[in-house]
Amino acid sequence: MTALALEHVDKRFPTGTLALQGVSLSVGSGEFVSLLGPSGCGKSTVLRLLAGLDQPSAGRVRHPERAAETGFVFQSPTLMPWARVADNVSLPLRLAKQPRAQIDAAVQSALERVGLAEFAQAFPRELSGGMQMRVAIARALVTRASLLLLDEPFAALDEIGRMRLNVELLRLWQQERFTAVFVTHSVMEAVFLSQRVVVMAPRPGRVAQEIRIDAPYPRDESWRASAAFAASCVQVSQALQRAVESAEEAAHA
Amino acid sequence: MASRLLHAFALAALLGCATALAADKVVFATNWKAQAAHGGFYQALADGTYERYGLTVEIRQGGPQVNNRPLLPAGKIDFLMTGNLLHSFDNVKNGVPVIVVASMFQKDPQALFAHPGQGYASFEDLKKAPIVYVAKDAQFSWWAWLKAEHGFRDEQLRPYNYNLGPFLANKASVQQGYAVEEPISIERQAKFKPMTFLLADHGYSTYSTTIEARVDTVRGKPELVRRFVEASILGWVNYLHGDRSKADALIRAANPEMDQATIDQSVALMKELGIVDSGDARTLGIGAMKPERIADFYSKMVKAGLYKPGEVDLSKVATTQFVNHGAGVAERAKLKD
Amino acid sequence: MPDRGATPRALRFAAPTIAAALALLAWEGAVRLFDIPPYLLPGPWLVLRTLVENFGSLLPSWWFTVKITFAALGLAVLGGAALALLFALSRTLELGLFPFAVVLQVTPVVAVAPLVLILVDNATATVLICAWIVAFFPILSNTAIGLRSADTNLRDLFRLYGASRWQTLRHLLVPSALPYFMAGLRVAGGLSLIGAVVAEFTAGAAGRETGLASRILEASFRTEIPKMFAALVLVSLTGVAIYALMNLLAHLVLRRWHESQR
Repeated sequence: MTALALEHVDKRFPTGTLALQGVSLSVGSGEFVSLLGPSGCGKSTVLRLLAGLDQPSAGRVRHPERAAETGFVFQSPTLMPWARVADNVSLPLRLAKQPRAQIDAAVQSALERVGLAEFAQAFPRELSGGMQMRVAIARALVTRASLLLLDEPFAALDEIGRMRLNVELLRLWQQERFTAVFVTHSVMEAVFLSQRVVVMAPRPGRVAQEIRIDAPYPRDESWRASAAFAASCVQVSQALQRAVESAEEAAHA
Repeated sequence: MASRLLHAFALAALLGCATALAADKVVFATNWKAQAAHGGFYQALADGTYERYGLTVEIRQGGPQVNNRPLLPAGKIDFLMTGNLLHSFDNVKNGVPVIVVASMFQKDPQALFAHPGQGYASFEDLKKAPIVYVAKDAQFSWWAWLKAEHGFRDEQLRPYNYNLGPFLANKASVQQGYAVEEPISIERQAKFKPMTFLLADHGYSTYSTTIEARVDTVRGKPELVRRFVEASILGWVNYLHGDRSKADALIRAANPEMDQATIDQSVALMKELGIVDSGDARTLGIGAMKPERIADFYSKMVKAGLYKPGEVDLSKVATTQFVNHGAGVAERAKLKD
Repeated sequence: MPDRGATPRALRFAAPTIAAALALLAWEGAVRLFDIPPYLLPGPWLVLRTLVENFGSLLPSWWFTVKITFAALGLAVLGGAALALLFALSRTLELGLFPFAVVLQVTPVVAVAPLVLILVDNATATVLICAWIVAFFPILSNTAIGLRSADTNLRDLFRLYGASRWQTLRHLLVPSALPYFMAGLRVAGGLSLIGAVVAEFTAGAAGRETGLASRILEASFRTEIPKMFAALVLVSLTGVAIYALMNLLAHLVLRRWHESQR
């Protein structure tokens, strides 16, 4: 069942730049999809369109029926520095004016799921970058979201932290069964995490190729060390290379 | 023959240089922008009287935002024009070593003005005015005397910022001014003659437009002081009774907002009210001062609560060594003929 | 836990105190060395003695100035913050009204005070209004900027969760603006004092309801220079105290989470 889709979408910014041209993309319910591409290929724009934060200039965006339950994780944790961790996580529920007891329970549960239950009363500046990102994920999940959109969330972390959070994210995904659209510019990350990698080309942004990654879940370090993983990475890298080259050719034409 | 001519030449040149060298540079600061009430000083400058007395005088104007008073004890100027004796009492009280050496005015032209037809027939009526515009420095000096002696109250007080507007707009109000200046501007701007109440006629017997000098100038260079005072006295005689056209030109050059008609009217008022050349000045010469009068004025101010008895050593307030010698009396007699 | 090593408390008190002590010593030294008479520049010891002698008469004037300063500051906070909130809600209003606010800021109080006095015919009200005029703008300007400085991603997040305008204002814009508001308050405190003093110079009337400005003028006109300095010192000390108070306020409000309070 299709959870959401872009149908022949164009996006032109007020400055005149054509960010996306003729992008068609569909995501199945419960699927884990990565958007991979060089900078300027419009992957973040696609994510914003899927979130409903922007509107397409042409074409259609199809949202899930319960549009309210979308979680978004930005590249920076985007926490409110003046509020404690618990208040940050409870924000979506407070804005929806849910009853207090319900909010407290949901926050507790979300923090437990990301392993930060004892930091509920801390302020964001007391936490490390990785911990702040986990708070952001907790916030994204607190509404029992059926759709999680992530815009290069682990790009600012170190390698170890990044790998750890990749594993965490997959664990949560398997637990909660949400649909995930994950934007990245790391081939290895896209291959590690997703069932399908959508390779995008720049100028203007469009879908170049879609590659299925058929490895089974749960995925861990053994998957990362396997030959199949390496092969998939090569396949995706080549697709990416082709996409970039063809874009350059088109630009010089 | 040639050598004698040469000798004579050399002597003359030397004398000329000597005179030029002997001319003392003197800075005299006034307390307002150039006006007819400063006329005598500009006259002495314009007609060469200061020069004849061996003085190169620079007259520095005062003004609404300018305060020249601290310059005298600081040594930046040599002589200072002062509006009334209260400043001099304060100087002595606070140990500032300056002293009054002459008083050009025998009457202080400070006055209160009212609109005609508002029921202010006499000075006593003024204390009923709803609003009295008084400038900042006066608020802390003779306003206290008006309150103590003539029943004025702080509730009437509004600051006077040297702008006629508020007074002209509010017919029931009263404002301060110089009896020889403000009525002219009022009549010109608003086409009516204000009722003028000279404070001097109601017990405010201070000397006015005095010349102050540092005590060490008086002690160390008494000749210089005498020359400046006498030349100034002569300047006043010539200004009031002689040809003052050059002096007026100097005044108008220094203060471009001043016009000849105003100067003429002001001089007429000075004569009519007997500001300069009246009372003791007629016999003792302009600039005359009598210690008894100073003491009497002081006791009036003590009564008004401005000073405590004995707080000011009156002997230090003024010196009469440079005045009361009849300077200028003969010249005035000649000019009157 | 991130710790950049906050400035040790000892240094925070010692540095300004020592600097002040040195300055005072230099002042007293200069006065004695150059034999400067008290009616030109009184030394700090003389000023202190004069302050103590005249404390009884200076205190009510000081209290009057303080009352006006804080009343004007309070009104400036109310007016400035309220208007900034209005601007945050309506861009049109902001574009239309902001120029007026700028005009208020650059108008010299010395020139405006006599005109205000003619309008309201009350010296105390005039001083209050003038102090308000100078204190109002930094609060308005800083708070308005603060309300606009909310993190873009957070703003998107609020939009994503369907927050109403009021919710966005209350939970995002206002907390974001708080550090900026505090910075504006710090500036406005001192300005309010200056406005009160300067306005009283031109529009105050001697006698009743007078503050330190009138005492400064009075001492100046009566050639009581040490007393004039004593009143000036009171004004300066009050300014320092107000600044310290505003700093303390900022610290209390922001200390848990803002970078400026490390």
